[in-house]
Amino acid sequence: MSELTPKIDGLAEAEIDRTIGPWREAWRSFRKSKVAVAGMIIILFFVLLAIFGPFIAKEGINEQLAADRLQPPSAEYWLGTDDFGRDILSRIIHGARISLSVGFLSVIASVVVGSFLGIIAGYYGRWTDTIISRIFDIMLAFPSILLAIAIVSVLGPGLENALIAIAIINVPNFGRLIRSKVLSIKEDEYIMAAKAIGMKDARILFSHILPNSMAPVIVQGTLAIATAILEAAALGFLGLGAQAPQPEWGKMLADSKSYLQSAPWTMLFPGLAIMLTVLGFNLMGDGLRDALDPKMKN
Amino acid sequence: MNKKRMWSAALLLFLILSTVLAACGSNSGSSKDTLVFGRGGDSTSLDPSRVTEGETFKVTVNLFETLLNFGEQDTTIQPGLAKEWDTSEDGLSYTFKLEEGVKFHDDTDFNADAVVKNFERWANGDADMFPYYDTMFGGFKGDEGHVIDSVTADGDYTVIIKLKRPQAPFLKNIAMSMFAIASPTAFEKGDDQFERNPVGTGPFKFVDWKTNDSITIEKFDGYWQEGLPKLNKIVFRSIPDNSTRLNSLISGEIDLADGINPSDAGKIEENGDLQLIKRPSMNIGYLGLTVTREPFDKKEVRQAMNHAIDKKTIIDSFFEGQADSAKNPMPPSISGYNDDIEEYEYNPEKAKELLAKAGYPDGFEMELWAMPVPRPYMPDGAKVAEVIQSNLADIGVKAKIVSYEWGTYLDKASKGEADAFMLGWTGDNGDADNFLYALLDEDNIGSNNYTYFKNAKMHDLFIEAQTEVDEDKRIELYKEAQEIIHEEAPWVPIAHSTPLLAAAKDLTGFVPHPTGSDLLSNVEFK
Repeated sequence: MSELTPKIDGLAEAEIDRTIGPWREAWRSFRKSKVAVAGMIIILFFVLLAIFGPFIAKEGINEQLAADRLQPPSAEYWLGTDDFGRDILSRIIHGARISLSVGFLSVIASVVVGSFLGIIAGYYGRWTDTIISRIFDIMLAFPSILLAIAIVSVLGPGLENALIAIAIINVPNFGRLIRSKVLSIKEDEYIMAAKAIGMKDARILFSHILPNSMAPVIVQGTLAIATAILEAAALGFLGLGAQAPQPEWGKMLADSKSYLQSAPWTMLFPGLAIMLTVLGFNLMGDGLRDALDPKMKN
Repeated sequence: MNKKRMWSAALLLFLILSTVLAACGSNSGSSKDTLVFGRGGDSTSLDPSRVTEGETFKVTVNLFETLLNFGEQDTTIQPGLAKEWDTSEDGLSYTFKLEEGVKFHDDTDFNADAVVKNFERWANGDADMFPYYDTMFGGFKGDEGHVIDSVTADGDYTVIIKLKRPQAPFLKNIAMSMFAIASPTAFEKGDDQFERNPVGTGPFKFVDWKTNDSITIEKFDGYWQEGLPKLNKIVFRSIPDNSTRLNSLISGEIDLADGINPSDAGKIEENGDLQLIKRPSMNIGYLGLTVTREPFDKKEVRQAMNHAIDKKTIIDSFFEGQADSAKNPMPPSISGYNDDIEEYEYNPEKAKELLAKAGYPDGFEMELWAMPVPRPYMPDGAKVAEVIQSNLADIGVKAKIVSYEWGTYLDKASKGEADAFMLGWTGDNGDADNFLYALLDEDNIGSNNYTYFKNAKMHDLFIEAQTEVDEDKRIELYKEAQEIIHEEAPWVPIAHSTPLLAAAKDLTGFVPHPTGSDLLSNVEFK
């Protein structure tokens, strides 16, 4: 990353000049990739589902009808019912809200914290950089899901704590990304100029350096949402994330694993929902990278 | 290229051949006078007096015999190595007349002297060595609480046991698998050596023990009961995973499998080569309410919980119907069960009224502890907890399901840290004392009474019942105690489950015992 060409800074500079040209150009190149657009449509679908779904979906996601337990998909229950007689479709729709909010919120949190630490480390250098970077190194030395499990074990199982854990484990990724970006930007002439005219550090950091290092963060962030959703599902599956009776997809999978043979729909649909959302974010992330990476431009 | 292809052909041939040969091996191995019994865990010892653990008794009940036996499928007292017995008027002296002509597997004679030596061995031990003796007979020689005063031989075939004070369930205690009579010649060689080379008078004798894999026992030709046992050999195999064990049964590797998931019952009944066997129930699964914690210190709240929980749905959904709804803290098969008690019916409205009366019209928040492991009395604790959670939500009580690793769970619950916790119990000798006193009396707070419930009147009834020798009077005492428990409602009794086993269709004569220790001398293949 440290070998980035100055071109990307040119792009950011243009943005400061309020010309929207580069963004429109990026959108144009993004739109060209059918796969990326497909990813975006999937995400839009789930986002709309998360926002409006709960109003459409049947009432009573936690209502247990013992008489209707483990019903296969039918006209009444489009995706069948689980072992408590709860409608799987309603639960998946409500689950979309949980999974997506965990995905977005945890990534936003890690971007904010990671950017802050990364900028400080990159801009001030020396011992500040050493301390922050070593902390990142230590955190990255753990397999991320293990670290998340450890954090949740300390905080106690629950959706909020799972969200916090996922946010924490993603901090070093963003921190390092921004830091390397800042290292290259801070040597640029316009930063020198800003310093020369006596601009305060805070202003330089947040109105010049930060906006100019956002492009890779957007790409990384989209991909990180996919990982965050997967990690939330994994924690839910292990019983450390969402707690009963929350309709979290990973937990739905874990709850129905003993019915894999007798009632496969109880596992199939939550699994599909996880897979599709993650796929959507990954496709869109790839598309964004292609669109925003200056090296890909002709 | 050609050479490569030849190698793969050879490899393929080798694989096919090995499959065929393996199949041959298993076919010729299962001759029909050998029973392979698949179970969840290995025994920890083959000396029954040294453990309290069921997997050991499952084997030793076939190697050893006790002075008295339990009934075939109940815990009534039947003759064993003693053909007759007498109790003195004051309940302090028991006289046992022994079977004659019985021999131990090592050819030692079984007689009154052997019985005395066994009792001497236990009485001179300590709690580490003989833990269950300690629990049942109140300590060891020289201890204040030790119930047994003396064990003496009167001639070759009469044994007299004198007690310091009456003990009502004494005969039942004597019939427990752990008080099996072992060959003195064998255990005098050393306890550790004996533990792995058990010698008893039972229908089978010990052959081989591969730790965590299998225990093999074979027919004892000199067995004193004519025509028994019918099998030539039994192999107890440890297969920890329930579904793996069932698959081994389906593939014919084993003939009898313990610990079948209730959800697999249908699969077994549909299979023409298998039979489903139900073990008579002698257990209770319950939701304990810690009475020292708010709001469960109020009787009305505890009663409300009883009205709120829909046991029928729980049993239909997660016991797959293989259980009876419970209304008392002990199963109906045990004498002293009070059937006149009227079960708290499922009635959320009534529960709400009771909550309002107790001062919680809008409900409250609580922690609901769910056991993390499947138990015979509760096949899936987490799922049952979810039903209870939904039931409680209906009456405005917000329950948060909490679970810990099994050891921690028991430890924390026993310290009274749970608001409400799910737990259960399987009876060891079929006596009401083993349920009611053990689980609910103030003497056992901190050990088995996790609810911290205490009631002075009930305590007096229990203590009276322990020394009461007249069976009818004892029954009345226990019935009265159950009324108190019902009214005070420290538990929500949930179910008496029926543990399931499965066997090959041609297996006959297998009679599962409620204690979990099955005598296999009548088993054969038809």
